[in-house]
Amino acid sequence: MMINSILLIDDEDLFHLVFEDACSILDITLSLEALDSSDEADKKFKEWFPDDPNGEKPECVFVDLNIIGSSFDGIEMIHKINFEYGNGCVIGIISSSDDNQEIEKAKKAGAQFWIIKSDDIEPRLEEFKVDYEGYKDKTNPFKIYR
Amino acid sequence: MISSKDTVKEAMLKAKAKKVYIEGNFVKLLSETSDTDVKDYIEECKSRDLKSRKKRLQITKQVQKQNKELEEAAVVKEALVLELQNSLEESKLLRDEALEDLEVMQKRTQFELISTIVKVALCVIIGVGVLTTVMYAWAMTSGTDTQIIGSTWSNMFGILLTNAFSIVGTIMGVKYATDKD
Repeated sequence: MMINSILLIDDEDLFHLVFEDACSILDITLSLEALDSSDEADKKFKEWFPDDPNGEKPECVFVDLNIIGSSFDGIEMIHKINFEYGNGCVIGIISSSDDNQEIEKAKKAGAQFWIIKSDDIEPRLEEFKVDYEGYKDKTNPFKIYR
Repeated sequence: MISSKDTVKEAMLKAKAKKVYIEGNFVKLLSETSDTDVKDYIEECKSRDLKSRKKRLQITKQVQKQNKELEEAAVVKEALVLELQNSLEESKLLRDEALEDLEVMQKRTQFELISTIVKVALCVIIGVGVLTTVMYAWAMTSGTDTQIIGSTWSNMFGILLTNAFSIVGTIMGVKYATDKD
């Protein structure tokens, strides 16, 4: 099953390309938008809140933990989406960090998954694709993809 | 050229004839067909797209890896520059200390030389004084003419006293300078 639309929030432009190609190769989604700052994403979510008139709100959001050049980090972004903009999407962190404290913080902010970025991201995304239905209907517990 | 009046099939066949292949997720939107020509074309597009995606992914990953290595090298370089700067500052401090020590040593050597000169001069003065006095005393006791030796003795003593004070002054000066350093 494909994800309708994905939003990636990551400051690293090269990772946008990696993520886009990996998603295309693995048939994860047909619609992917990548933003390089959480401020931009915040602006978009404000536009989509509360009723998303044009149906542009993504189905799934991947947020980097440290977004350089942004006013707030990935965990704060997730918190905002979940508690200020009414959630309504599958949301989690994609980061090279595996800091337990940060993972706990992300869980508290409402993240559903944590994917660890590495050279070999495809197997993790594939595993995520398999679990996706469970995240969508909120039956899957928080999971870390190492 | 493909016109807006062409059907999807016609458009695809025109593209196929020109060996132009559709790229990106649009290919995935094309549904299965029984038309062999179109089917082959779509399959070719899909296979080319997958191939180019894989190639691009590999290259992007490589660039990403190189960037990471460059970033790490930049951090190491920065650390090395900092270390070099610290070493330079440390060596400057050590050089200044060494120069100061050298100056002190030179001064000390000079003072030692001066004190040796003063000691020798004092010995000479005392020696001459004692010798002249002994000669004068001997002349007086032996009854020989004391006119020349007497005036020589008094002249000598005057000179010796003057020089002695001058030497004492020099010694005091040297001592004062040494104490200050």
